[in-house]
Amino acid sequence: MTLGFFFALFLGTTFLPIVWMFGSSLYEDGRFSFVYYRDIFFTQRYVRVIFNSLILASITTALSSLAGVPTGFFLAKTNLPLKNVFKICFLIPFIIPSYIVGIAWANLLGRTGFLNALLSQYTPLSPESISNFMYSLYGASFILSINLFPVIMLMTEYALKNVNPRLEESGLIGGSIFQVIRQITLPLIAPAILSSMMIVFVLSLSEFGIPSLLQINVLTTQIFTQFSAFYNEKAATAIAFPLIATTIMLMIVEQVYFRGKSFEILGRRASHGTIRYQERWLTVIGILFCAFIFILCVVVPLTTLMVGSKTVSAYYDAFNLAKNGIKNTILYGSLGATFLTVVGFFLGYLSEKIQSKLRNSIAPFIWLFFAVPATVIGVGLIKICNRPEGIFQFIYGSLWIIILGYGARFLPLSSRIMANYFKQVSNSTEEAGIVMGASWFRILKKIIVPLQGYGIVAAWLISFMFCVGELGTTILVYPPGHETLPITLFTVMVNSPANIVSALSIIIVGMTLLPLGIFLATTRYFLTMEAKGSRVLR
Amino acid sequence: MNVLEVKHALKILGKKEVVRGVSFEVERGQLLAILGPSGCGKTTTLRMIAGLEIPDYGEIWIAGALASRSQKIVISQKERHIGMVFQDLALWPHMTVYKNIEFGLKTIGLTRAERQKRIEAVLGKVNMQKYANDYPARLSGGQQQLIAIARAIVTEPKLLLMDEPLSNIDMQLRDEIRKEIKRIQQETGITTVYVTHDQEDAFLLADKIAVMNAGVVVQIDSPEEIYFSPGSLFVANFIGESNTIRVKIADRDKVVTPWGELSCKTNGHETGDTFLFFRPHQVQIEQNGFYEGVIMKREFIDGRYCYYIGIPQGEIKFYNQNFYRIGEFVRFSIKEANLLFS
Repeated sequence: MTLGFFFALFLGTTFLPIVWMFGSSLYEDGRFSFVYYRDIFFTQRYVRVIFNSLILASITTALSSLAGVPTGFFLAKTNLPLKNVFKICFLIPFIIPSYIVGIAWANLLGRTGFLNALLSQYTPLSPESISNFMYSLYGASFILSINLFPVIMLMTEYALKNVNPRLEESGLIGGSIFQVIRQITLPLIAPAILSSMMIVFVLSLSEFGIPSLLQINVLTTQIFTQFSAFYNEKAATAIAFPLIATTIMLMIVEQVYFRGKSFEILGRRASHGTIRYQERWLTVIGILFCAFIFILCVVVPLTTLMVGSKTVSAYYDAFNLAKNGIKNTILYGSLGATFLTVVGFFLGYLSEKIQSKLRNSIAPFIWLFFAVPATVIGVGLIKICNRPEGIFQFIYGSLWIIILGYGARFLPLSSRIMANYFKQVSNSTEEAGIVMGASWFRILKKIIVPLQGYGIVAAWLISFMFCVGELGTTILVYPPGHETLPITLFTVMVNSPANIVSALSIIIVGMTLLPLGIFLATTRYFLTMEAKGSRVLR
Repeated sequence: MNVLEVKHALKILGKKEVVRGVSFEVERGQLLAILGPSGCGKTTTLRMIAGLEIPDYGEIWIAGALASRSQKIVISQKERHIGMVFQDLALWPHMTVYKNIEFGLKTIGLTRAERQKRIEAVLGKVNMQKYANDYPARLSGGQQQLIAIARAIVTEPKLLLMDEPLSNIDMQLRDEIRKEIKRIQQETGITTVYVTHDQEDAFLLADKIAVMNAGVVVQIDSPEEIYFSPGSLFVANFIGESNTIRVKIADRDKVVTPWGELSCKTNGHETGDTFLFFRPHQVQIEQNGFYEGVIMKREFIDGRYCYYIGIPQGEIKFYNQNFYRIGEFVRFSIKEANLLFS
């Protein structure tokens, strides 16, 4: 029954807003009508927007693969020094909100940017053309690739570590490294790479922060404009349609063709040994490549922001300016993470442990919603909650609509993280309790929750990181006085000095990276505990 | 009195009938081994008894009470009074040995003092008193095994279920733990159902063996009966070693074999081609044996010889202490008791 309740909650927060929206977009003057859809598909302007979205997603996918596949390879297959440091650093651009990296690079390459000045002085490029590049589809794709390449990197690394080493060894006996990589390793991990590319494609389609920052006209920004500038939520929904349709189609392909493997890497460890190539030249190339990516994706943006904030007083000013936002962000982030962890726990349990046909259909179903654009969720939530009746009005005007927004956006993520942890514990640990006649709540309290301690901590921290940086949904639903830090950042960006914006960005980076630090520390703690032999028998 | 009665239990998992109308009984104090190849439905049968699976058809009675009936759990696990040892042991890694054992006692509502007394007693029974405060991961495989057993019997269940508990243990330890299981079962007199695919486990531990194949109990008997009088060709081939030879039944008491005519009872089998089955120990080398054959192959195993006599389209295996040269002619007979036709 408890499980049913949480499943209903999931349907309520994630599923309902979307269905509701589409339902109402098909009505005009109380009649069934396709008028909004007709506008999209038959107006030149919208076709252009759809086209822009697809270009953005395609270039991003290509660039992310160029960075992600080699880094994944070097991490998994070579004796790269400082491997773990590199890996964690490469995760930073994925964890911090994408628009932060955008702000940094826009500062650098913008008309008054340092790098712009440098480039225009030593190359035939004019300052305008460089700045125009930054504020174009290509610039947006570049930034978005920095944000999303870690997805491809992680999956490549994971797939490579899971290749049976015997298969490669048997090739190495008679062939060169190149032959083995080309003819054995790559074909084996191709599905994983393809699948991660598909995810990057979908995530870039639904990205709102960067296009809105760089003023690129794509579907997600159009949805926002239609809704907040023209109050035309039906048109906003209709615009969301191609986006969601493409997303769902790709996700279904991913689920059916690759069996959803790409999402199963969170929280997992590779099972058997991996061949590492000892060649020195390969390690050197690896160091150079990873250092290049590291500089491009981590050092440059973070240094730019830090240098950009100029003085310590900028942080003081930024802090004062965003006091309310910071307080709200911490509060809502914690509430949101707790909500996501609790509901994610039960949903994860439901999808992993319940032995039925239902189970197989739930897991892919939940993932579909991770790819729904944040702005679409925002519009849907407002549609549902903006009505005079009691509970809805209460939610609409309070922080709870933001929490619901977090729920709608990140439940698929937190529930899958939990599901992966559940997968690691054998069913019989629970059955041992059942056979002894213990009630489900006692089993939950004494066995399931304690065994999932690590998973729960991980799910909470990861949820918190994502909640802190959430922009797309919050910007639509936040009631006055309830703005979070990203909202403050986007508001002040227009009329505040650049150094304040940089300082604010650094504050957000700090707030998202802090949980990562805690996460790594706890991981280490739990691993040591395990090594000491006082924990988890597997 | 029967502690367990399984009547026509049937279970469908997915679209497959995993257990197809299984029936058997276990008397008080008896150890029944359910023996069969993997995928034969033995674990599913055990899980139905434990109430972890609901039978789609049939009934399960525990200690005279109806426990499960077609698609329905009639009494909950709490009232079944069963203990179970899982294949992977399922010891809770986050609890000490003491807490692991205490869990079930709390469920039945004993006071702290009573619980402590019982835990000490059961740890004494399995000689593990020293380890009460250790976490399971600190124990060796064999010790974990004993704790799992202690946890299952501490509540003094009416029925103990064991699901291949020795399958993850190396050979040497297996022997020891097997002896321990036997001792504990005999000392406590607890009625036990023991699922295994290992013949040795079944033969050394069981009072009665139920051989399962493809979801059906094909024979249920004492270990001796199962070995000496297998009820079917499957049991004959699955248990111990056997010679299976293609023959022709010519008459009610005459069989044409590749090495000559055999006079024996055919137990009403129709005349025509069939398979004849007999154990290696039924082959006897005698001066005045009925048949003659040539030794084709010789192996030395466990202090005796294993020989193969060549016959058209096959060979006959038998054991003997004496040395025969390869190529040597020997005269042999086949003991006619327990010959089996498919």
